[in-house]
Amino acid sequence: MKNRANGLGLVLMAPAVLLLIAFFLLPATLTGIFAFTNMSTSTGISGGAYVVTETVLRKLEATDLDPKLRAGLGEKSYTVNAETLAAATSADIEPGFLAEIEDRLSGKTYAASSAFEDDLKSLPSRPRRIRDLKLATEPFERSVINTRYPDRGQFEAALQTFLPAATKADLETIATASYTGWTWTRDNFIDLFTRADTLRLVANTVFYVCATLAFNVFVGLFLAIAVFYLPSRAGGVFNVLWLLPRITPVVLYAIMWKWFTWENGFLYVAAEDLGLPAFNYMKGSVPTAWATVILVNGFVGASFGMILFSGALRAIPIQQLWSSEVDGANRWQQVTRIILPQMRWPILFVTSYQTLSLLSSYELIWLTTNGGPGSTTTVWSLEAFHTALNNYTGNLQYGLGAAMALILVIVGLALSILYLRLFRFNELVSKPKIEF
Amino acid sequence: MSILKTTKTALLGSVLAMGFASGALAEDYTITVWSGGTGETGSYRWEAIQMAADILEREYAVTGQDVSITVEHQEWSGWDDFKQAVTLAAEAGNAPNIIVSGHEDIGPWSRSGLLRPVEDYVDFDAWPLSQIYPNLIDIASYDGVVWGLPQDAEARPFFFSRAHLAEIGYSQEEIDALPQRVQDGEYTLYDMLDDAKAMQDKGVVAERRGFMPRVNNGTDYWQFYVSFGGDMVDPETGKLVLDRQALTDMYQFFVDAADMGVVSSTHLGTTWDDWHQAVSSDQVGIWHGGTWHKAEWEAKWGLEDFFGEIQYSLIPAGNERGRANTISHPLVYLLSNTGTDDDAVIASELITIATEPRIAALHAVKSGKVAIGSEEAKVPVFANDRWSSIATTELLPYATAVPNDIDFGVVWKAMYAGLESSWTGTSSVEDAVNTVESEVTGQLGDAIIVR
Repeated sequence: MKNRANGLGLVLMAPAVLLLIAFFLLPATLTGIFAFTNMSTSTGISGGAYVVTETVLRKLEATDLDPKLRAGLGEKSYTVNAETLAAATSADIEPGFLAEIEDRLSGKTYAASSAFEDDLKSLPSRPRRIRDLKLATEPFERSVINTRYPDRGQFEAALQTFLPAATKADLETIATASYTGWTWTRDNFIDLFTRADTLRLVANTVFYVCATLAFNVFVGLFLAIAVFYLPSRAGGVFNVLWLLPRITPVVLYAIMWKWFTWENGFLYVAAEDLGLPAFNYMKGSVPTAWATVILVNGFVGASFGMILFSGALRAIPIQQLWSSEVDGANRWQQVTRIILPQMRWPILFVTSYQTLSLLSSYELIWLTTNGGPGSTTTVWSLEAFHTALNNYTGNLQYGLGAAMALILVIVGLALSILYLRLFRFNELVSKPKIEF
Repeated sequence: MSILKTTKTALLGSVLAMGFASGALAEDYTITVWSGGTGETGSYRWEAIQMAADILEREYAVTGQDVSITVEHQEWSGWDDFKQAVTLAAEAGNAPNIIVSGHEDIGPWSRSGLLRPVEDYVDFDAWPLSQIYPNLIDIASYDGVVWGLPQDAEARPFFFSRAHLAEIGYSQEEIDALPQRVQDGEYTLYDMLDDAKAMQDKGVVAERRGFMPRVNNGTDYWQFYVSFGGDMVDPETGKLVLDRQALTDMYQFFVDAADMGVVSSTHLGTTWDDWHQAVSSDQVGIWHGGTWHKAEWEAKWGLEDFFGEIQYSLIPAGNERGRANTISHPLVYLLSNTGTDDDAVIASELITIATEPRIAALHAVKSGKVAIGSEEAKVPVFANDRWSSIATTELLPYATAVPNDIDFGVVWKAMYAGLESSWTGTSSVEDAVNTVESEVTGQLGDAIIVR
């Protein structure tokens, strides 16, 4: 019976475990792996190839590779001889066309593809499609430059055929310079810890999290207590109104804020009428941009806090308030001496949950100020997003972005442990000392 | 089996056989096109491919081949989302067959294996590619390989309000002579700031509306770097270059402009709509933009007399180190590695036809771009369009282009971040330049020369 119960438990837990692996452990692990690579748009994610290019040749100038070998690497020619004709026979070239190549071009060597192609075009059986003509030149080509080799073995084999004098060390040097894929590195972290920008990002993030968190907790608490003392119907309406920021779709909510703060928006027009400075408050000055970012996020968090605090308030035995009124306590005394002391756990929960949530949230900043003006409201998570996934130049640096995300995960974990110790989480989940 | 039944069966068999036979002969292709930076006036970026598909089907038909081509397209008005979409789709193996993007993407995308070299599929000696301007072919090349076909090209001029120049004392002759003075280096960026300030002081434009630069990141800001003498690439070694002095002078210029009050220190991030609305309705003294903006102002913002209201010129030199210039950011048709080689052949034939002068001229005139080939400049619809011709003959010869180097994105990102931080006063110009230097040298090492 016990075994069956255990088995059932495992079955019931399985979906949750699978989801945890798929949506938390796997992404977190991949982030950890990516963080120690130089993955970017140009290296790709799925692995690289080997190509000798002009850039590679320039890179090889800084190595001790024999200049003759380097020059040889850059050579390209097309030769029609017995060997290349044999190779062409096994390629998919129309026999009549190949026969004409053999008859008319045997013994010729071309330094440029254009010259060879010109001669091929003059043959009566030339293919109609230019692609077929270009494919027909391939068996006659003698070069490695700009040819993409999918793996090291093929690349080295081609090099050995083309540059028989190359030693193993030479091949290693050339292959290292020619590899297009990503490599393992710690440079992302070194870069993050040494660049001047990092300190500003950290300061922005700390300011954003602290200010928004304070708004979330204090406003949420204030609202919950205010609603608590309102008549239940009025309180219900008030509750629903304050839920709007949380239940409104994020993009719509951001657009509404734009209408509110943008040039010719509500605030702009109102300020103009009142003779106050009218400008784009969302992006027109650093203080107003920060105020917008904090309020946009703060209202969402405050409504979240309000729901939780309201629930917790209802759990306080109402008799305590009645008896305090009998003793002559006013509202303030009730709040400070009865309500707040019993709200420690909900405040802990909202504080810790919102800290972690704010640390990793960037979507509302992205949709409103996008980190501007300048990069004054850019926080760590937004910068990580821009670095890894979304920027104007299209130069997506997955490795560096992942390193930034990994640091965020580590900070989040450290803060979680800190919060749990600070607020004595064990006490919260321990068995009650008195059995009811 | 009755005769009727037998006949029916035979008929059905024949119909099915014919169906299979025709099915075996017909070739169906679905070619996807994704284009970035494509607004209302840029629709020929993908419509040209649809037109090309119709022509190509007819070409195959007259040679006895039944080829059916379906063109599917997606367009993005911006660049961030577009480049993200292409990159991630490519990683997932779902990149579109044809990508219409900026030439600077060739470097990283070719290295990652996302692209097929277009030179392996097309004949540059044959029509219509034989008449494409060679410098545009160069811009579509990287590491000695031609990766893309030019889709369009443009220039990015300075614009002056004729009315506001007149209001601060310019005569009509002086306004007409201004482009030449700019070109000769007699009228610099700081002269421009003085004029913008004069317009504000005189009350003909509002505070911080004297000068209204581009509102967000873009190749435009490299023009100012060139105006102050900066090079992006070392011609001898081919390596990227960071010119500290040019960068310092460029950053200082925008800081000075903000200090003079002719532009807001938080200008970057203004919306395009606000910018278009302001510059097209004569609320701004001097600004810079693209040749294509004329088409947008006329189509969307109610500008009626461009030549009567607006003067244009190259971007003025910043100081004696620099020169008057403009920058072109040609877009290119790129072939992705998606699909079979036959798909790529069809896609290459489509982009070749799309560069036909008549088709390219439609895009150039509709979107205010310059010609990509010598014959396009002779197509009547283009030749008779005053602005397109001016842009091609007066501006394009002075155009530079950003390099296709794989690592240029790192330099670009750092340059713009430094511009933002110094312009907004978040950091000093010196600190911003130092940060750019440490950023690019940290990431690129010897691949960049710092002067």
